[in-house]
Amino acid sequence: MATALAQNQQPGDQPTPDAATLTPPPAYTARPKGAPPAVDTPAQRDAIARWKARAEQATSADRTAHNALVTPTYNFHYGKLNPFTPGNITVQGEGFIQPGAFPSAEYCGACHQEAYKQWRQALHSNAFRTPFYRTSVNLLIRDKTRGISFARHCDSCHNPIGVLGAALTEDSKVDRARFDSDGLTCTTCHSVLSLDSTNGNASVQMGVPSALVDENGNRIPGEVPFDMILRHPERHSKAVMHDFLHKPEFCAACHKANLPDTLNDYKFIRAFTAYDEWQQSKFSQRNPLTFYTADFTTCQGCHMKRSAITVPDYGAKDGTLVSHRWLAGNTAVPFYYGFDEQLKKTIEFLRTGNYLNVDIFGIQKVGSEKLIAPLGKVAYRLAPSDVLEAYVVIQNKNIGHSLIPEVRDLYEAWVEFTVKDQNGKEIYHSGFLKPDGMLDPRAHSFTNRPVTDEGEFVDNHKVWTIHSVAYDNSIQAGRSVLVRYQFRMPADATGAVTVTAKVNYRHLRQSYLNNIFGKDDHPAYPLVELASRTRTFKIGDNQPEPADPADNPDWMRWNNLGISLLDQFQYMEAVQAFNEVVKLRPTYAEGYTNVGLTLIVWEKYESARKAINKALSIDPNSARATYYDGLLQRRAGNSEREIADFRKVVEMFPESRDARRELGITYYQKNDNHAALEQFEALQRIDPDDLTAHYNLSILYRRMGKPKEAADQQAMFVDKKVDPGAPTYSLNFLRAHPEISTESVPWHIHSDLVGDSAAPQTGK
Amino acid sequence: MNITPKIRLAGLSLVLLGFAAHCHAKNNCPWINEATAGGLLGGEAVGEFTEPVPGHPAVCMFTQAGQNFTRTLRITVEVVPDTHARLEVATQPCGKNAAPIQAIGNEALMCAPETRSPGLSELVVGRVRDQLFTITLNTTAKDDLILTRSSLKEKAYTASEQVAGNLF
Repeated sequence: MATALAQNQQPGDQPTPDAATLTPPPAYTARPKGAPPAVDTPAQRDAIARWKARAEQATSADRTAHNALVTPTYNFHYGKLNPFTPGNITVQGEGFIQPGAFPSAEYCGACHQEAYKQWRQALHSNAFRTPFYRTSVNLLIRDKTRGISFARHCDSCHNPIGVLGAALTEDSKVDRARFDSDGLTCTTCHSVLSLDSTNGNASVQMGVPSALVDENGNRIPGEVPFDMILRHPERHSKAVMHDFLHKPEFCAACHKANLPDTLNDYKFIRAFTAYDEWQQSKFSQRNPLTFYTADFTTCQGCHMKRSAITVPDYGAKDGTLVSHRWLAGNTAVPFYYGFDEQLKKTIEFLRTGNYLNVDIFGIQKVGSEKLIAPLGKVAYRLAPSDVLEAYVVIQNKNIGHSLIPEVRDLYEAWVEFTVKDQNGKEIYHSGFLKPDGMLDPRAHSFTNRPVTDEGEFVDNHKVWTIHSVAYDNSIQAGRSVLVRYQFRMPADATGAVTVTAKVNYRHLRQSYLNNIFGKDDHPAYPLVELASRTRTFKIGDNQPEPADPADNPDWMRWNNLGISLLDQFQYMEAVQAFNEVVKLRPTYAEGYTNVGLTLIVWEKYESARKAINKALSIDPNSARATYYDGLLQRRAGNSEREIADFRKVVEMFPESRDARRELGITYYQKNDNHAALEQFEALQRIDPDDLTAHYNLSILYRRMGKPKEAADQQAMFVDKKVDPGAPTYSLNFLRAHPEISTESVPWHIHSDLVGDSAAPQTGK
Repeated sequence: MNITPKIRLAGLSLVLLGFAAHCHAKNNCPWINEATAGGLLGGEAVGEFTEPVPGHPAVCMFTQAGQNFTRTLRITVEVVPDTHARLEVATQPCGKNAAPIQAIGNEALMCAPETRSPGLSELVVGRVRDQLFTITLNTTAKDDLILTRSSLKEKAYTASEQVAGNLF
């Protein structure tokens, strides 16, 4: 007998987690494109009307009976009016809704076999049942001061049928086998009626599920006979396909989360917000301040790409269907469930798309001020025993959100940096995996460190205990990070030394897997190399060499260095890097804007003005340069010019939160309360958590005689503002963990040479 | 201070606790509720939970009785130091028929146990970390319309996913 069955071992003739028996698709011939909808005979209209009346009556009666069953013992922890708190989800109609009101995935799968097949292996269908989720939510349920009511916060997105059906209570009367294994089933997303999604935490109103509307557009609840749908596919679309399904705001409903005080009994803490990151990225075309530009691309554009169907699906267009696999970063779930196709496609997705760029940009001999860069373009000479500092620039090039975007405490992406001599002998290695699977603690990882009020790392996703984040080293969309490594060339080296920088990724952190399955009680989970670059350093002369096809052009390499230096507060070096961009592309306005931006942050306003003026002389309609000009005009006291600048940016980018915020501040300073109010209200519609908006609206509403609105804004400001005591928790953690505390310092170096008397200590 | 009443109270509590540990309590099965069990058994199920005592696992027993048959879902859970060895013992009723099933706990096996009694059974033995669980789904009817041989497997799988999920 097997004693330690690997979790991804293929079973024999046994039930499997993706097993399902779909009925054969009913016969259907699509009407020709452009053909008008079928016209019903009176008898057909009567049949639909009768069906609708019966369905409404049955659904309503079932709902009444369900509420009578579940309500008496339901734990209304947050009051009768808030049955689903701390989640933000709501449902059409009164009370709870019976799980049986949701047509099954198998029902939908009869006609949408491709979508069903993909969905069954996707994260959405497995949103609730995975051990990775259950382990942390079970901790919340077992927590002595909380319990299952609090888990509505998580399950509103992970298991909405359970939440809306009153399953999340101590003495549940609900048959959970009906929905737990389907997580987000077809008729959860496709039954949403409206969104308030930028608040996240499942900010949607769920409708009573319906697969068809009648001739007047009225929804018919529950499952309807296939022939009714196939006769009127346009009415089926009206019931299940809302325009917002194509928009990022729909994804935001759950891919934006916060930890409210109703969960943590503390205060609002931002958990993650892939939506806002997208909104601030070049792909949204809503933010004028991005370093680069791109075509408009939604979440769906990357994660729901169209591909050819392999099994029948009546929703396909020209033989293709938008992906219902939602390929992204989770390799653990398909690995655990043995969903090989999903795993393969996930890894392919992670490795394609030119998402990241790794650039071994330059080297600096310790003791020398000169940066030898960009490597590949310049000649240089190395000697044995030279101590080198390698500049590795990692660019988040084409991800529409940060790396890592969500649950950063669980995902793990890091830089593995190796230096090997001509015989393959390792000279330096950072970012290795230890024999127990744990990551080198001194690795540069794109992660964060949430901590409790005791300064303890929140290792098992007990998010309700998070009080602070000791550091967050994720790379925002479009930004770059500079990672520096110091190593010594071998004294006896004669040949080439090979230097490789990789970005590795795995889902999940080893310690979290250990929490779930027990230490040494699970197989190694997939590790994916996302991007890498190798260069060779020779003793003696090194000549320029051809660029790799994946390399960025030189101006962009300098630009990315500048961006990373700016983010690490190395302003002088950042200006130097951006000036190299200007040299290489003298007509590129953005290069001057980058110089100007850095100088503004550096508080060298006169120099900044020259750079921004130059940028505007090249491109007078640059919204980005105009925005920074506005800041400089404010500094110079030219309020009319300041207003003109920000208004221009707002006209060009009406959803720019930065421009709205600054224009609001400008009007506020000029005592133009109504104009200021307009901007802050617009800002709040874009970002309901903007602190500046809360603060100023509180004052403005009070001035306008709206005390309730003012008080609401004041309360939200106080709730969302960072706790001034929070840094103490972070510092307590960092003091206790010197092995990683340097990661909290933006400008740091990775080296094994610390304490090596032959290694000059630069103090960097 | 007179501590006698407190000692008496403590003693009484111990007696009550001991009593509670040895008697069948109402259903408060931590791993599956009556509605879910009823759904698996094909009708309204009555549950009974027995707390664990040293040497004996916690047991949830759900029964759905018909005119000519009885369907049962029995779940046991215990924390054991050597789960691998105990897993082998627990699968002995399977003979050589134990087959691994995927994505249930750390590991799990399923079989139709070898038994002389009439009716049909499906057994799942699995573990989540050091928590060993068994699930036995049984019907006394030979030709049960709901718990057929194939549906027994599916329902046992579903039950084991529910139980393992709650043990994580």
